[in-house]
Amino acid sequence: MTRSDNVAGGSGFLGEVAQRSLSRRSLLRWGALAGAGAVLAPAVTACVAPSAPGGGATGSTTLTLGLNRSLVSLDNKLNQFDAAVTVQRAVRQALTEIGDDLKPRNVLAESFELTSPTQWTVKLRNDIKYSDGSSVAVEDVAKALEMYSQVNGSFLAPQFPEWPTVTKKDELTFTLDTKAPLPVLSTLMSNILITPAAANKPEELQDGVGTGPYKVASADRGTGTYKLVVNENYWGEKPSVSEVNVRFMSEESSRVVALRSGEVDVIDSITPDSVAQLKSVDGIEIESVTGTRYNQLFYNFRKAADSPMSDPKVREALSYGFDSKSVVEGILGGTVTSAKGVVPQTLAGAVETGEYAYDPGKAKSLLAGLGVSNLSVKVIWETGEFAADVSIMEALVEMMKEIGVTAELQQFEPGGDISSWRQGKAGDWDILGNGYGNQTGLALTNLQGMYAGTAEKEATRDTYHGFVFPEISSKIITATSETDQAKSTALLTQVQKDIWAKWPCMWAFIPNAVLARRARVDGVKLRPINSYQLSTVKVNG
Amino acid sequence: MLTYVAKRLSQSLLTIFLTVSTVFVLIRMAPGDPAYALAGPLASTGDLEKIRTSMGLNEPLFTQYGIFLKELAAGNIGKSYSFQAPALDVVLGRLPNTIFLAVLAILLAIVVAIPLGVWMAKRADTKRELGVNVLTIAGQSMPDFWIGIMLLTLFAVVFPIFPSSGFTSWSGVVLPVATIAILQIALVSRMVRREVGSNLAAPYLTVARARGTGEQKLTWAYAMRNSSIPILTTLGTRFAGMLNGVVVVEVVFNWPGLGSLVVRALETRDYPLIQATVLVTSVLAVGVQLLIDLCYPLLDPRVRLGKVSVA
Repeated sequence: MTRSDNVAGGSGFLGEVAQRSLSRRSLLRWGALAGAGAVLAPAVTACVAPSAPGGGATGSTTLTLGLNRSLVSLDNKLNQFDAAVTVQRAVRQALTEIGDDLKPRNVLAESFELTSPTQWTVKLRNDIKYSDGSSVAVEDVAKALEMYSQVNGSFLAPQFPEWPTVTKKDELTFTLDTKAPLPVLSTLMSNILITPAAANKPEELQDGVGTGPYKVASADRGTGTYKLVVNENYWGEKPSVSEVNVRFMSEESSRVVALRSGEVDVIDSITPDSVAQLKSVDGIEIESVTGTRYNQLFYNFRKAADSPMSDPKVREALSYGFDSKSVVEGILGGTVTSAKGVVPQTLAGAVETGEYAYDPGKAKSLLAGLGVSNLSVKVIWETGEFAADVSIMEALVEMMKEIGVTAELQQFEPGGDISSWRQGKAGDWDILGNGYGNQTGLALTNLQGMYAGTAEKEATRDTYHGFVFPEISSKIITATSETDQAKSTALLTQVQKDIWAKWPCMWAFIPNAVLARRARVDGVKLRPINSYQLSTVKVNG
Repeated sequence: MLTYVAKRLSQSLLTIFLTVSTVFVLIRMAPGDPAYALAGPLASTGDLEKIRTSMGLNEPLFTQYGIFLKELAAGNIGKSYSFQAPALDVVLGRLPNTIFLAVLAILLAIVVAIPLGVWMAKRADTKRELGVNVLTIAGQSMPDFWIGIMLLTLFAVVFPIFPSSGFTSWSGVVLPVATIAILQIALVSRMVRREVGSNLAAPYLTVARARGTGEQKLTWAYAMRNSSIPILTTLGTRFAGMLNGVVVVEVVFNWPGLGSLVVRALETRDYPLIQATVLVTSVLAVGVQLLIDLCYPLLDPRVRLGKVSVA
C-alpha cells in the first residue's frame, strides 16, 4: 500500500487497536527500547561470550581446520576433493591408503597380496572395530564395492576397468577376483571406504560410523561444520589432538584472515598471492609439496581434419610461443612446476618425455613453414580451474600475438555451460584450460582417464576432448593388466613418448599442494595428493 | 478491513506463485547442468544421463513444471542435489541466522539513523550538518564488501577483538551487523533528514510554533510522526531485502545464512535449493510488506486500509 491508500476519517479496526492496546506513543517507546537493545546487545555479548581469537582453537588439544569447499558428506562415493580426504580418512578408512611415497600401504588390511594374475588375497586386521564398537567384517568390503559400483557418476568408476568380486575364505580373509589381471588393485582400493554393510547405500552416506581415529560428535552439513572427537575404539595409536573442528570457508580472503587472527589453525588450497602474503607473517608456516594434479592448456582433438589445429606440428609451434617460465615465475610465484611429460612426474610410472621450451622465433618459422598464417584460436576455461587462471589466459593472448596468432578467450562461471563446450556440443574451441586430479599416485590412472580414448567412447563424447589414438589406447589397456613389472614399465614408457609426440597440450604444469598452518600446529605432513593424516597432528601450547 | 487483508493475502499468494514460477523457468533456461555439477568432469555421458533422469531433468519443461506444482501443493519442494536432503529443510535451517543478522542490523539502523536524521534536519545547512552529511554520503557510497574487509582487517587482525568469520560465538555477530548497518544508517538517516526537514518547514508547523508548542513536541510529535510512513516503508523494504540474504556480507564473513547458501546453490545448479530459497524469501518479503501496510493506521490515524482516499 502507498500513501494514497487512504487518509479518511472514521475509525477502522486497526485504528482502534492502535488506540486501545498499542498507542503510537507506546509503539515509538517500544521501538526505541528494542533499538537500544540492538545497539547494546552485540557489544554486551562480545564482552561476555568467548572472544574471537583462538575461538575455535583455544584448548591445547583442539584443532580447527578451514576448508575451501563444503564437506557435505564424510563419504566419497560421488566426489572427492583434495582437502576432504584428510577429514574423510580421519573417520572412515579403506583397506589401503596412498602413503607419502605415493605407494599403497595397508590400513584395514593386514595383508593385501597378489596370489594369481586375477586374484588378490586380503586378510583384515583382527583388532579393528568401528566407532560404534562393532567389528569389521568381510561382508562390509563386499557391500562397499557393490555400493560404489552402483552409484551414478562416481569419480571412481572410470578408474576400475572392472569391479572385483569378493569371495570369503574365513572370518578375516577373502579374495578379490577380476576377469582380467588388475595389478593396481591395491592402489585403487585405497579409495573404497569401508562402512558397516547394513548402513551402506549406493549414495553418499550421511552418518559417520567408521574405523578412523576420530568419530563425528556433531555435524551441520548445511554449513559444512563438523566436530570430531577421538574414537575410543580406534585400533591404532590414539591421536594427540582430542577435538577437531572442521569449518567451511569458501572465500580465500576469509580463510587467510581467520588463520592470521588465530581463529583457525590450518587452511588449505591457497593461491600464490596468499602464500606470498602469509610467508611474512610471524607464527604462520607454509607447507608445500609438488602435487599430483595435472593442469593443462589442452588442445581440442575434435577438430576437422583440414583444420591447422589437427596437425601436431602446428600444436607444437604454438607451444614454442608460450613463455611458461615467465608464467611460472611472474604469475604463479614459483608455486608450480612446468610439466616434463604427459602426466605429473610425481606419479609412479611417469617418465620424462620432453620440456616446454619458449622460442617464439621457432614458433613463427614453424608456422610459416607449414603455410599457416592468420591463425585464430579460441581458448575456453572455467573460472577457478587453477590459480591465477585469468592472468595466465591474458598472458597467453599477448604471447600468441607475438607469433602472429590471435587468441580469443571465453570464460565460464562455475556451474555454467562448460561441460557442453568441453564435449563439443555447444560450440567449437581450440584450447581448454583444464585440470586432472590424481588420488592413486599412479601414472596409469591419468593415462587411462586422459589418453585411452576409443572410438566407442568418442561416440558418446566420453573421451578426453577427442584424444583418440587406437595404438595408444591399446598400449594403455595392455599396461593396465600387465603383471610383469618390467613389461609394464616398458609399455608405459613407450606410450608416454607416443602421447607426447601427438603434442596434446600447449603447456601443462603441476601445482604444488600448499597449506598454511599456525606454528603451534605440528606433524602436518602434507602429501602430494594434498592431504595429511590428522592422527599425527599435534597442537603445542 | 478483513476484506482488505483477504485481498492483500490473495495478491501476495499470486506474487509468490508468479515469482516461484518465473524462477523455475529461468534457472532451467540458464546455461549449466546440475548433473555435471554433481558428478564432475570425469562422469561419463551415460552416468550424466542416468543422473538427469533420476532428477527428472530429461522431461519436457512443461511436464517438469506440472510435477513441481503438484509436489508444491503437497508441501514438497524437492530434495537438494548437493545436500541430499529436503531443500526446504536446508533453507529453513539457515533462515534463523539470516533473520538474526537482519533484525539486529535494522534495529541498529533505526536507533542510530532516526536520531541522526532528525538532528541533521534540525541543523540543515550548517557546517556540522554538512560534515555529517559527507559521512553519510561516504557510508552510502562504500561497497559493503569493502567495509566488511576493512572491519575484518581492523578488528579481527590488527586488533583481534572479534572473530573474523562464522557464527561460532556471540561476538561473531558484531562485525557482520556493523557492516550491514553502516549502509542502512547512511541511507535511512538521509531519508529521515529529507522527510523531517520538509515537515519542519511545512505551514502547519509554523502555525503550531506560533501557538507556543515546544520544539521537542514539534519535532517528534508533529514532524516525525508525519514522516513516519515513508520512513517505515523504507525500513521495511530494506529489511525485506536483507531477509533475501545479505549475500556479500554473508560470503565475506562466512555467515551461515541464506545468502551464502544461494550462492552455492547457483554454482551447483541445485534447482530445488534455489526454488526453496526463492519460495521462503518471497513469503518473507511479501509478509513484511503486508505487515508494514497494516502498521500504517497505527502511525497515522487518517489512513484507512482498503478505502479510497477522500482527503
